Amino acid sequence: MRGWVFTGLKTGIKSTRYPEEEEKRPGVSPGLPIAGGNSLGLVDICPTNALLASNGQVALEYGRCVHCFRCARAAKSAPLDWSSGYEWADLSAKAGETAVEFGQNGFGRSLHVLVVDAGDCGACLSEIAQLNGPYYNMHRLGIFITPTPRFADVLLVVGPVTEHMREPLRKAYAAMPTPKRVVAIGVCALSGGVFVPSFASGSGVADVLPVDVVVPGCPPPPLAVLHGLLVAVGRKPPSRMFVSQRPVEERTPVL
Amino acid sequence: MSLEGALLVLFLAWCSLGALLAVLLSERRNPTALAWTGSLAAVTALCLGGRILLPGSEIQIPLWTLPGLGNLRLSLNPLGALFLCSAATVYLAASVFSAGYLGRYLGHYSLRSFSVLYHGLFASVVLVFVAGDVLSFLLIWEVMAILSFLLVNYEHDKAENTSAAWLMLAMSEAGTLAAAIALLILAKNAGSLDFSLLAAEGARLLPGMRWAVFLLSFFGFGVKAGLVPFSVWLPRAHPVAPANVSAILSGVILNLGIYGIVLVNMKFLPVTLLGPGMLALIVGSITALVGILYATAENDMKTMLAHSSIENMGIIVSGLGAGFVFLASNHPAFAAIAFVAAFYHMLNHSAYKALLFLGAGTVDSRAGTRNMDRLGGLIKAMPWTALSFLVGALAISALPPFNGFVSEWLTLQSLLRSVELHSAAIGSVFAFCGAILALTAGLAITCFVKAFAMSFLGMPRWKEAGRVFEGSRSMTTPMAGLAFLCLFLGITPTYVIPALDKALAPLTGASAVQALVPPFLRSSASAQLPAGFVSEFHDLGAQVGKGYLPGNGLVVLHRGAERNPVVFAMSTSYTFLVLVLLLAIVFLATRLWTTPSHTVVRKPRWDGGIARLLPIMTYSATGFSSPVSVIFDALLHPRRVEDARETVHEHFRTAIKRRPERAHILDWAIFRHLAAAADAIANLCARMHNGRLNAYVAYVLIALVGVLLLS
Amino acid sequence: MMRLQDALEQVRRRWPGEMRGEFGSRKDALEYEMESPSAEVPELCGWLFKEAGYNFATLIPEERESGWELRYVFYGDRNQGVLHVLVRQPIDNRTFLSLIGHVHAADWNEREAEDLFGLSFEGHPRLGDFVLHDDHWPEAIAPMQRSVDGRQPLPHQQREGVWQPLLVLDAPGAFAMPIGPIYSGVAESALFLLETTGEDVVRAVPRLFYKYRGIEKIAEGRSVQDALLLAERANGTCAFAHGFAYCRAAEAICGAAVPDRARMLRLLLAELERLRHHAGAIREICESTSLAVATSQASIPEEELLSLSCSFAGHRYLFGLNTIGGLTRDFESAACLDVAAGAADILRRLDKLEEELRYSSSFLDRLEQVGMVSNDDARTFGLVGPIARASGVARDLRRLQPYSGYERMEFAVPCEQEGDGYARLRILFAEARQSLRIIQQAVARLPGGPVCQRNLEMKSGAALGWTEAPRGAAFHWLRVGQDGMVQRCRLASPSLNNWNGFHLAAEGFAFQDFPIIMASFGLSVAENDR
Repeated sequence: MRGWVFTGLKTGIKSTRYPEEEEKRPGVSPGLPIAGGNSLGLVDICPTNALLASNGQVALEYGRCVHCFRCARAAKSAPLDWSSGYEWADLSAKAGETAVEFGQNGFGRSLHVLVVDAGDCGACLSEIAQLNGPYYNMHRLGIFITPTPRFADVLLVVGPVTEHMREPLRKAYAAMPTPKRVVAIGVCALSGGVFVPSFASGSGVADVLPVDVVVPGCPPPPLAVLHGLLVAVGRKPPSRMFVSQRPVEERTPVL
Repeated sequence: MSLEGALLVLFLAWCSLGALLAVLLSERRNPTALAWTGSLAAVTALCLGGRILLPGSEIQIPLWTLPGLGNLRLSLNPLGALFLCSAATVYLAASVFSAGYLGRYLGHYSLRSFSVLYHGLFASVVLVFVAGDVLSFLLIWEVMAILSFLLVNYEHDKAENTSAAWLMLAMSEAGTLAAAIALLILAKNAGSLDFSLLAAEGARLLPGMRWAVFLLSFFGFGVKAGLVPFSVWLPRAHPVAPANVSAILSGVILNLGIYGIVLVNMKFLPVTLLGPGMLALIVGSITALVGILYATAENDMKTMLAHSSIENMGIIVSGLGAGFVFLASNHPAFAAIAFVAAFYHMLNHSAYKALLFLGAGTVDSRAGTRNMDRLGGLIKAMPWTALSFLVGALAISALPPFNGFVSEWLTLQSLLRSVELHSAAIGSVFAFCGAILALTAGLAITCFVKAFAMSFLGMPRWKEAGRVFEGSRSMTTPMAGLAFLCLFLGITPTYVIPALDKALAPLTGASAVQALVPPFLRSSASAQLPAGFVSEFHDLGAQVGKGYLPGNGLVVLHRGAERNPVVFAMSTSYTFLVLVLLLAIVFLATRLWTTPSHTVVRKPRWDGGIARLLPIMTYSATGFSSPVSVIFDALLHPRRVEDARETVHEHFRTAIKRRPERAHILDWAIFRHLAAAADAIANLCARMHNGRLNAYVAYVLIALVGVLLLS
Repeated sequence: MMRLQDALEQVRRRWPGEMRGEFGSRKDALEYEMESPSAEVPELCGWLFKEAGYNFATLIPEERESGWELRYVFYGDRNQGVLHVLVRQPIDNRTFLSLIGHVHAADWNEREAEDLFGLSFEGHPRLGDFVLHDDHWPEAIAPMQRSVDGRQPLPHQQREGVWQPLLVLDAPGAFAMPIGPIYSGVAESALFLLETTGEDVVRAVPRLFYKYRGIEKIAEGRSVQDALLLAERANGTCAFAHGFAYCRAAEAICGAAVPDRARMLRLLLAELERLRHHAGAIREICESTSLAVATSQASIPEEELLSLSCSFAGHRYLFGLNTIGGLTRDFESAACLDVAAGAADILRRLDKLEEELRYSSSFLDRLEQVGMVSNDDARTFGLVGPIARASGVARDLRRLQPYSGYERMEFAVPCEQEGDGYARLRILFAEARQSLRIIQQAVARLPGGPVCQRNLEMKSGAALGWTEAPRGAAFHWLRVGQDGMVQRCRLASPSLNNWNGFHLAAEGFAFQDFPIIMASFGLSVAENDR
């Protein structure tokens, strides 16, 4: 046992300084495409209709981008640029009055999170699991994962919400004490991602629960998930750059 | 005739009236009549006991004189009165309970005969305590044994009941025989059958004979008390009787065994030998452990309670044993504490075990099963029964502020006093037994958490769950009464201990009250103490509320000199008061400080999001106790496991059947061999019966010659 | 081991005059498709499975214009090849003979086909509630049938009390401990019913498919390129391996010649993914035994591999790299060298962790002799991947049916005999080392040239593609129609095979061992549910 203690000490501090400082280690985020440019040919390439033509420019609906990289590696026209960065979380369009303003801390210093897998492919869950590891170590921010909704402040949902998981998800939300927040993690939880339209899964969490914070990405890297949690409790400002330009109802069916 | 004599006659009259009414009235009206006459008899007996116990007096009623054998008489002293009071209390509760409970037997079994036996048993129990000589004692003891046999065998058409009852009768008779021999040795020594003469002459017995008398009486009466290894009948017989009889068997009849042991070994024989006390202590603590282990592993509610009775008898006998050792080594004050602990525990056990058996009976009669694997969720249908059962469970688990805590605490504390004995051997035995008793106390909590939780909480696991309803008022009232008694005995040790002391001081020659309360707390003494000393203890809190609270609030054990006391203090009274105060303050504070807009939100239980949580998906009683079974595998290991699997296409299992067959360690280790030996002897004897006349003539001749030679 | 020709000869002798068949056109492997009359299938497959030494891969049911086609796929080593046993029945005859009793490994495949296609398998004892939960869907629904539009919601309702789990333990105090579907900290949704009388798990019943996303159905009608996104996201933690298998199927259909550089880079990426997956699996095992420092120590290489993948290939889970005909992007050779060096560094960390774990007796106590799967059971239940190899079944598609250049790589297939949790842990470490070897060889031998065959014409047809995914053998069956759209896409994942045998390990052990056994199995629910 003594050996383990030394091993631990010898390893030194690996944790990121985020959110105090920006994380600069390479490979923490796959980035996202940057909207703009006039290579409208890309709009047809996008398999999930995340790229839109808007006033002669390429607009982006980040809630649909599944990281297929087709727009970045397109051979036909000028590819889209990719941003690095990971502060992708934003307040959901429906959050409205329940949203916590930045700086208004609704949950004190400690936050308990229930993670519900509503049909994800495993990548989002894996990224959330990384938050427990030494590199991201969300415990230092007072954030803990709890196995039961009874102690949970935040419901973290991944996956498009399959038919079979809809009821369990509802039950978990109902079992949480108030005040509570719902954070939808990943494109599937935002729009269903590549899995819609389908008989077996819905198009995101918003159809089932009132979502407060959305984190795009396929999967969103650990720091984006962390940003989402901090946004949910008002400890970080939301990134206003990813708000969907169009109301939900007008979305064209995918594929 | 004295008032006490009149009360005794009145009591017997009530019992006779009860028996008479039972015959005269219709079956349907019998339960009510039984409740009335039984309660009146019990109240009369309580009055009688109280009249003797409280002033500490004694009555003697001479009956007649047998030439050469001395006087036959009835006598009642404070010790007997103590037992009488506890018996009468249990009877009072059981009688009232019968009014509602006995209805379930209407039309199936004769309620008339039940009532006659019930009153007969009550009368015989009281007379056992009143018997003043060997002959009437043994006679009434026999009557009591046979009546309890008949009551156990009340549902006589069930093979299980009959065999349990016969086992009980056989073992009880063997025990009585041993006890009778012990009493006869004493009677021969004294040259009289009179108890008072027995006591006077006891000191003349040689140590060898004393050992013989001790062993015979300890194990003879020990059979009735369910001491290891003679406890095998108890978990079979107690559960099969009707619940009110079970309550009486556990709350009254077991105490008779203790009464017998105390009568012979404290009253008739002066305690001078260390050995018997040590033996009693060891047997007692082992009994306690074995009892609670089997209780924890048991799933039948009443069988579990019966095993737990064995455990409690073990604790009582441990206390007695410790007392014997202290007495033999000239520490009468410690002995007094140990005896107070033992008898306090006996009173407590009568109260809560009767309560729990009545609770189990209510559950059984309403739910139709006693199997805790199948029960569950009863608290919704029967809240009052559940509440009373909970109090009983807390009390038997020795949790304050209930009564079990006081007596178990005192027992353990008195075992700790062994450091005063300055003997490493005795000290280590005491330490060992103390550790066993502490383990027992821990297991008792497991056992009764399981009993309450599996029966009353969670989801119901049997089909007719929807049809369960609360027991009638005549059933819940006595349970509530006993629950209050448990609380009362728990928070007023300062009143109970002096009462016990009155009964015990004549036997030990020292007062536990004197020993328990340090001199500086007695009002007369504190005036003489230096002011600095008093103020020091005032700061320590020893005198909190002195003068404001009624009575001595504090139960204190102390050791050391009068001027330099080391204090181990415990006060259930204060604990209770503080608890109530705290709860009240918290309640008021939350009421005052929270705004009424904060509504309580009830949410469905969290089941992991499963579509439907079925009762079979919740913990069962077997599952709850299985860690204990795993740890004590050597003792509780099933002797044989039937393990059968059925599969389709080799890999699809359609049935896995597991039937572990548990045999009690005593059955398995001792009585299996005894039974085999008895069988062998019987077979040997059977060979003599060859049916030839001349052979029998020869037997007669041989027997005659043998008798002639002997005389 | 029988060569394919010998096996076919024996088949012809045993079942004379009934088998028709033809060799596949595949260049990289021996493939043979034989059609068998319905009645002979169970015995034929049983013979292949038990006598001829073939492994059961998967069952591929297809509803075609001409009728039902059920394809039982078996595979052996290079000489044995890949064998398709094909059964055809008219569309209105939905009853097939079950392989149960002959090939037990086909159990879950048949149950799945019954639930999704509305087929019936005569002789199978456990049909019914499986993929489609009975308390959610009406029994009559068979979403995989062609008449059903997978894009539209199907009629369903929450039906209380329809589902009654089959519990078989008959013992005093027996109960079924439910775990899930939402449980633990970060866990995939699945329900486990542990039948027990208190301490030991007597029977463990997983109820899966809570995450059923109908990938195979919604892939139908999508373009081959778009369905690739689904194949990748069937299991995000093994996305490259699944995308790889899918691409191999598609490339076999259109006869693409993947450039050598792409073939080698695919190996590099696949092994990088395996390395990362195994690091994650090791982390989960450490986590399940509550060994905090070891968990952190295992998290470090996992995260380092993730960020290494990201800085190398642009995505932490290697999404979007595979495409039909090669890769979507090229890599500079310096980057490739860097990735090999980085992986070597990370492996040193893993080696050190293994060394330390080996001397932690409290850790080993919880793994050794826990969650045992015997060699016989592993074969019977058709377990694959590291789990099978820990039970002495040295099957690895990279060796048995090498693809994409594995035949030219030097690597060992580690194999252990004990079949307990510790054996599985050792396999993970050993395979991680082999993966690094392959990465280094691939980088060293990396040829020049393009990474993708441009201007591929999609043809109609069907083909099987396979890879050894980190969790075991993955088979993708793709049928492309005249319009270039996917007609049928079957994703046979290793987790489907391995979940079927999960109860073997979980039974007979105490409750507190259950999470450890689950972690040591390292199964993915997403990969199973699809």
